[in-house]
Amino acid sequence: MKCGLEIHQRLDTGKLFCRCPSAIAEREPDFRFRRKLRASAGETGEVDFAARVEQEKEKEFHYEGFAESCCLVEADEEPPQEMNPEALRIVLGVAQQLHMEPFEQLHVMRKIVVDGSNTSGFQRTCLVAAGGYLETSRGRVRMSTVAVEEESAGIVSEEAHVKNYRLDRLGIPLIELATEPDIVDAEHCKEVAEKIGLMLRATGKVARGIGTIRQDVNVSTEDGARIEIKGAQELRMIPLYVEKEVLRQERLLGVVAEIRKRLGDSALKPKAVDLTPIFAKTQCGLIRKGIEAGGHVLGIKLEGHAGLLGRELIPGRRYGTELSDYAKSAGVKGIIHSDEDFDKYGISAQEDSAARKGLGAGEEDAYVMVVAQRGMAQRALQMVVERANVRVVPAETRKANPDGTSSYMRPLAGRSRMYPETDIPPIAVGKGMLEEAMAAAGGGLEEKERKLRGMLNPEMAGRMLKSRNLQLFEELVGAGAEPMLAASTLEQTLVEMRREGLELGRPREQLMELFAEYGNGLFVKAAIPEILRGMCRGKRAREAAEGLERIGGAELKRLVKEKGGDFGKIMREYRLRVDAKELKEAIGR
Amino acid sequence: MERLKRVRITSKGKVFEGLLLPSADRDFLVLKMDSGYNAGFRKEGAKVEELGEVKVDVGSGKDGASGGKRGEIAILGMGGTVCSRVEYKTGAVFPSIGPEDLARNIPGLEKICSFHTREIFSMLSEDMTPQHWAEAAEEIRKEIEKGVQGIVVLHGTDTMHYTSAALSFMLRNLPVPVVLVGAQRSSDRPSTDGRINVLNACFAAARGPIAEVGVCMHAGTDDDFCHLHRGTRVRKMHTTRRDAFHSINSPPLARVDYRNEIVEPYLQFRGRGGKLRFDNRVSENVALVYTHPGVKPEFIDSLAGYDGVVVAGTGLGHVPANPFNAKYTRSIVPNLKALVDSGIPVAMASQCISGRVNMNVYTAGRVLQEAGVFGHLADWTPETAYVKMCWVLGHEKKMEKVREEMMRDIAGEITGRSEIA
Ligand SMILES: [Zn+2]
Repeated sequence: MKCGLEIHQRLDTGKLFCRCPSAIAEREPDFRFRRKLRASAGETGEVDFAARVEQEKEKEFHYEGFAESCCLVEADEEPPQEMNPEALRIVLGVAQQLHMEPFEQLHVMRKIVVDGSNTSGFQRTCLVAAGGYLETSRGRVRMSTVAVEEESAGIVSEEAHVKNYRLDRLGIPLIELATEPDIVDAEHCKEVAEKIGLMLRATGKVARGIGTIRQDVNVSTEDGARIEIKGAQELRMIPLYVEKEVLRQERLLGVVAEIRKRLGDSALKPKAVDLTPIFAKTQCGLIRKGIEAGGHVLGIKLEGHAGLLGRELIPGRRYGTELSDYAKSAGVKGIIHSDEDFDKYGISAQEDSAARKGLGAGEEDAYVMVVAQRGMAQRALQMVVERANVRVVPAETRKANPDGTSSYMRPLAGRSRMYPETDIPPIAVGKGMLEEAMAAAGGGLEEKERKLRGMLNPEMAGRMLKSRNLQLFEELVGAGAEPMLAASTLEQTLVEMRREGLELGRPREQLMELFAEYGNGLFVKAAIPEILRGMCRGKRAREAAEGLERIGGAELKRLVKEKGGDFGKIMREYRLRVDAKELKEAIGR
Repeated sequence: MERLKRVRITSKGKVFEGLLLPSADRDFLVLKMDSGYNAGFRKEGAKVEELGEVKVDVGSGKDGASGGKRGEIAILGMGGTVCSRVEYKTGAVFPSIGPEDLARNIPGLEKICSFHTREIFSMLSEDMTPQHWAEAAEEIRKEIEKGVQGIVVLHGTDTMHYTSAALSFMLRNLPVPVVLVGAQRSSDRPSTDGRINVLNACFAAARGPIAEVGVCMHAGTDDDFCHLHRGTRVRKMHTTRRDAFHSINSPPLARVDYRNEIVEPYLQFRGRGGKLRFDNRVSENVALVYTHPGVKPEFIDSLAGYDGVVVAGTGLGHVPANPFNAKYTRSIVPNLKALVDSGIPVAMASQCISGRVNMNVYTAGRVLQEAGVFGHLADWTPETAYVKMCWVLGHEKKMEKVREEMMRDIAGEITGRSEIA
C-alpha cells in the first residue's frame, strides 16, 4: 500500500480575512439570518455539475452568529481584509522547515462550495508552497503542497429544506499540508502524522481541542483516480481505508471495462418515467410511505447494465451503492435498482414486470427507481445517469465510514470549482518575508530539539518537545527559570496537582511569578509543590510561601550548630525549607 | 471565447503545468494549475514552454433578441455588479456580462415573465453623468412605445439613486413600472444578492401595480423579500451590506416578494396606464458641495462657473455665517449671496440625510434665506436636490421659475408631513 496524508490544523491567530478572534462560542447566538446560494461558472467557463445539483436542491441556509466572533465579513456583508500576516508567517515557517519552495506570488482563490458551510458560497484558500520532504524512520516522505484556508461554518442541524450553521468557526485559518503517496504502512502513517503535528505545535500558535486537527487520506492508483477520504477518526484505520479504496478502484475498472464492452462509448440518455400508478397497492413499505407522503416513484432504464449494479466492489458496497451515493447528493434517501432482491423490499414480480414494461427495459437492461417529491426525484435520477456515464474512476472526495469503506461526498475540487478571489490582491513573497518567517519559527523543530537536549536530560527533552507546554516552557526559561525545574514543574508537579483537582487559573502569569520568587531565594525547590497548591487556591507566591521561607546563610549555620550537624535529622525536620546542597556545604565547613 | 495557453513553467528547479492567465503585474507569470489553484512566478528566472492552446468560454456579452412584443418586459443593462464578471487582466470584477447572460444565469426568470434584453451602457455607475441619464430615459421611452409591460434597468449600486431620481423627473406619468436593480455581491458569486433582487424587480415590473420609477433591493440581510423604493427617496446608506438602500424621510414604496407573488404597497402610488410626459433635457453644469468646519469663502467663489449649486449644509441647513463674530471663523454667506446675485440658483439640503431643512430656526438659516438660498422645508436628499436642479435647468433658466419649480413636488421628492415612523 501507498498513501498520502492531508493534515488540516486550525491556527490560533485570529481569523484569516477579518480581525475577529478565533473563539468558539458555547451559548445561545446573538443574531440569526437566512440565505440561499447558487452555483456559477468558473473563470474557465465550466459549470460544475455537482455544484449545480447541490444548488438545485433549493436549500435555505440559516446562520447563527455571535457578537464577539462574527463581523460583517462572516456574514458576507463586507469584503475580506488582507490575509492575517501572522497566519501567513506561520505557514511560510512550516513550509520552509519541510524544505518546501514557497511561490513567489500567492493568489487567494475561491473554492466553490454551495452546501452552505460558507456564507459566500466559497471557501477562500491560498496555495503557499510546493515540493519538499519530511525525514522519517522509513526514508523521506515527499511533501506535495501547503495551503492556508478558511475554516468553514459548523453545522448545527439539517432538515429537509434547511441547513443550520454557526458562524463562530467560519474564517479561522487552517493550514493544510499534503504529502505525496510515500507512506508505506500504518506505523509509518502514524509517524508522519505525529511528526507534522509536532512541527505544527512547535509554532505555539495552533488551536487545541476536539476538531482542531483533521487528517484526510489521499489514495491514487495507476489506472484509477485520485481519491480523498475525509473524516477518518483514527490514524490506525487509515491503512484499512487505503486497502479498501485500492480494491474498490480495481473492481470499478472491471465494471467500466464491461460497460465499454457492452455499450462502447455511447452515453445513456434515459427519460425518467412516472411509475407511481404501478405501485398504487404495493406491499413495499418504503414505496408506500413515500407515496403517502406525496412523493412519486420515478424510474429510468440503464441500457445494457443488467447485473452490473449488483456487482460487488468491496464487501458491503456494490456498483449500485456508488450510483446511490450520487442520487443521495440530490437529497433522496437512496435508490432501488433491478439487481436488488425485490422480495426483501416487498416488490412483487408483477410490479417488477410492469415497471420494466413502463420503462421499456429488456433483459439486458437494468433500471433504477427513486421515491421522492417529483423535482427531487428527477434530480436524483439525473445524478445517477451522470455517474453512470462516467466511464473511468471519477476523482472524488469521499467520506470515511466506520467500517473502513467510504462513500461519495462530492467531486474532487478541480479547476471548475476554483475562481480567483478578486477582493484580495496577489501577495508577493520576498526574501525578507521568508527569513522573518523562519526566525519566528525559532529555527524549526530540529533546532528546537537541539536546544532542548542542551538544557534537559534526554528523556525530559523528548517529552518537552512533544508537550503542549513547550511554548510556555520556552517563555519561562527565557525569563530566567532553571530549565530542568521548569520542565519538571510543567510536566510532573502540575500533572500531579491536576489529579488532586487543583489547577492554576492563569498558568503563564502565576508560573512567571513563582520562578521569579524562587530566583529571589524566597524558598527552596522542595517547597514548590506546596506553594503551587496555595497558588491554585488563588494565593500570591509570597502569601503561599508563608512559613515555608528558605533557611539559609547565618540562620542555617545556627541551625546546624543547634542540631549538632546531623544532616539527616535537619533534612527530616526542615525538608521544605532547606536546600540539601547548601546544608552539606554548611556542615562541611 | 478566449484562448489560453497551456504551459510548463520551470522555476527554482521545480516544474509546474497549467494554463497561463493574464497577469496584472508585469513581473509575474500567473499559472492556473490543474488543481485549480493560481500561483505567480517571477518572469525573471522562470523557463516557459508552450504546450498548446485551450479555448475557454468567458461569457458572450451579447444582447438578447429585441422582440418588443406586447406583454413582456424589457431588461436594460447599464452596467454594474449585477451584470459583472471577473476580469482577468486586473483580476477585478468588471461589468462585461450582457443582459442575456444574466437572464440565462437566473433560473426562474422565465417563469415570472417573458422578456427581451438590451445593453445601453457597459460601465461603472460612478462614471455616469447627467448625459447618461438623458440617454437612458430616451431608451426607456422607446421601450414604452413598443408596448412593454414594464422595464427593468440593471445598474451599478453606487449612483443608482441619482439615476433613479433623474428618471423620476424625466419620465413622468408613466404607463408602466420602471424598476432599477443592482447587486451588492457580484453576480459571479454563489452568494450574490443579485438573483433575488432581479427576480423581484422583474416581478414588480411585469406584474406589480406601481407605475413609478423605483429601486428594488434587499430589504434586510436575509435572502428573503425586497423593498421597492421611490426613485426620488432612495439612497445608498452602506458601502457593502445587501440592505444598503433605504428610503429617506419616507417608508419604502412597497414590499416585493416574487415567491409569494406579492407587491404590497406601503404608500399611495401612481397606477399603470398613464400617458407618458417625457422631458430628458438636463444641465450638466450643476455642483453639489458639502460645507464643513473651516470651509473657505474662496471655495464658494470658485463655483461661479456653474449654472446651479446645491449645498449639503449642516444640521437644519446651515453654513458658517458667524453671527457672533467668533474668532478664526469666516462666513461664506456673502459668497453664496454673490452667486445668487449673479443669477446662479443655490439650493439647500442637509448632510444629516434624514430630516427636513428648516432655515427659520437659527440665524444662519435666516441669513441664508435673505441671501436667496432656497430649500426651506424641503425634505429631499442632497442627491435628489442635485439631480432635480440638473433637470430643472435643462428646460428653465429664469431664476424665479427655477426656484418655484425646485420647491414644487414633482416626483415625490418633497412632502409636507414628517411622519413619526
Ligand atoms: Zn469577522
